[in-house]
Amino acid sequence: MPQAKTVLIVDDSRVSRMMARQYITGLHADWVVTEAATGEESLLKAREVAPDLVLMDVNMPGMGGIAAAEQLRQEFPAIPISLLTANVQTATRERAAAMGIGFVEKPITEARIAQLLATLETA
Amino acid sequence: MSMFDLSELENDALVEIFNIGVGQAAASMSAIVHEAVRMSVPSISFIPRAEAARLLGGRDPAGPERICGVSQHYQGAFETEAILMFPEDKSLEIVRLMVGESVPLKELTEMEQEAMCEIGNIILNSCVGTLANIFQHELQGSLPQYHVGTSDEILTATGSGADTVVLMLHIDFLLEKHQIHGYVAFVLDISALHDLKGQINLYIARAMGQA
Repeated sequence: MPQAKTVLIVDDSRVSRMMARQYITGLHADWVVTEAATGEESLLKAREVAPDLVLMDVNMPGMGGIAAAEQLRQEFPAIPISLLTANVQTATRERAAAMGIGFVEKPITEARIAQLLATLETA
Repeated sequence: MSMFDLSELENDALVEIFNIGVGQAAASMSAIVHEAVRMSVPSISFIPRAEAARLLGGRDPAGPERICGVSQHYQGAFETEAILMFPEDKSLEIVRLMVGESVPLKELTEMEQEAMCEIGNIILNSCVGTLANIFQHELQGSLPQYHVGTSDEILTATGSGADTVVLMLHIDFLLEKHQIHGYVAFVLDISALHDLKGQINLYIARAMGQA
């Protein structure tokens, strides 16, 4: 049986975190979901829980999602990170690709969350 | 009266570009509320801000409707204040459609402003992001801000002076099952209009294979 995973949701919107959490636990009741509301907090949480996947919003107060993802990438090169953002601009997608991280558009839907989790399910 | 001249071709391109953006916004809105969303073709007018407020204020003889608005400021290829507006009394219903029936009313009311900000963030970014992609030029957005008031109060709060000439891109949309009307407006001042015109001409040149 595949091992339960830990997912870190980073988003300044409580509603978005709530929806992502709801879809993740709906698909995998045994998975652990941790939340951070800023990029800075995501770094602390990642050190604390060593997540298997990080879902990262882009437009947040403080350091923002891209800078936080860059820092996480350096510190934890093996953890998959995906942007989960309303910023659908090509420039943002290209930035994500250059950093070797995923990109999923908001709004958060069950199908999009399922697509993100699929890569972890067999691991 | 037009206060800023666009050629017929420029006007046509502007409507087409915003139409594509609005199509994306409608798709995002539909995914948020889980129902079909119908959006109008954008109407474009160059008008004083006070007239823009009247246009958005509705036709209620009892006075201007109270609106809940989410605005974001964008800069880059051009500068604009993008505003998503709903009648204030529909806001909770929209949030309910977004989060589903399982969230208790008290919690829903507590998260209403935040949820509306996120809805605005998604819809405005899907429209503006499409424009940025078409212009091949990034647009940086601020964090969303929530406002409640008349359209005039909201336009004042989002920084446009009463005598500002604005490009009003006015798009109506309708959530079909719930009969909820909303509006998206983009407000640009004269300097931003010149930048936008430049971007439109680059787009036309690319479309004609000249760039």
